[in-house]
Amino acid sequence: MPDIDMNNLENEIKAIVSEVTEIDPKQITLEANFVEKLGMDSMMALEVLASIEKKYKIKIPEENLMKIINLKQTIKIVSNFLNK
Amino acid sequence: MELKFDIIKKFLHQRYPFLMVDKIIEFEQGKRVVGIKNVSTNEPYFQGHFPEKAIMPGVLISEAMAQTGAMLFYDENKNESTLYYLGSIKTRFFKPVFPGDTMRIEVTPVKLTRDAGIIQAETKVEGNIVAKGEFSFKAAL
Repeated sequence: MPDIDMNNLENEIKAIVSEVTEIDPKQITLEANFVEKLGMDSMMALEVLASIEKKYKIKIPEENLMKIINLKQTIKIVSNFLNK
Repeated sequence: MELKFDIIKKFLHQRYPFLMVDKIIEFEQGKRVVGIKNVSTNEPYFQGHFPEKAIMPGVLISEAMAQTGAMLFYDENKNESTLYYLGSIKTRFFKPVFPGDTMRIEVTPVKLTRDAGIIQAETKVEGNIVAKGEFSFKAAL
């Protein structure tokens, strides 16, 4: 497995979150809470997860859905699964 | 496995004139569903869509795909019939659907969880794709 370009990963996941929530990528900071700051609901979280799975050809189990609370956590989860 | 109309009616809450799955011809729980919707000239919406030429409304083709998709959650071992709400739809229509057409709707999951899901659907009439869509939905509380 090649090293993951974290900067690239951040931008790609940010783009996915931006597309699903229809929020300007500039407002999607690492710490911005998806629910409180970006108005994300459970369906949107699932859409984010499904888009990530499709993009990186990985499977992320359902129990991780609750952990997708901000960009930082999402990147952490995705990089864990990319390293597996 | 095939699912007859009485089973579909037990699982889906929609009723006339809004139940848009006539039968399920192939069923693998959570994996794949192929549904049939026969479009009759007597469908109530043809009165107005359109008086001069009957064309099945695209939103109702979407509805038929979504209802077929909800059948992915059917479990013959459970006597449950949850209500599902749509969260989002993304649909593309390729050809119009007319009275007399038989829509063959094939649905596969993109991602399913216990109480929600994103599904992909493809509708064909006589082997030609008429519509494709992606739907997300969630079980009502």
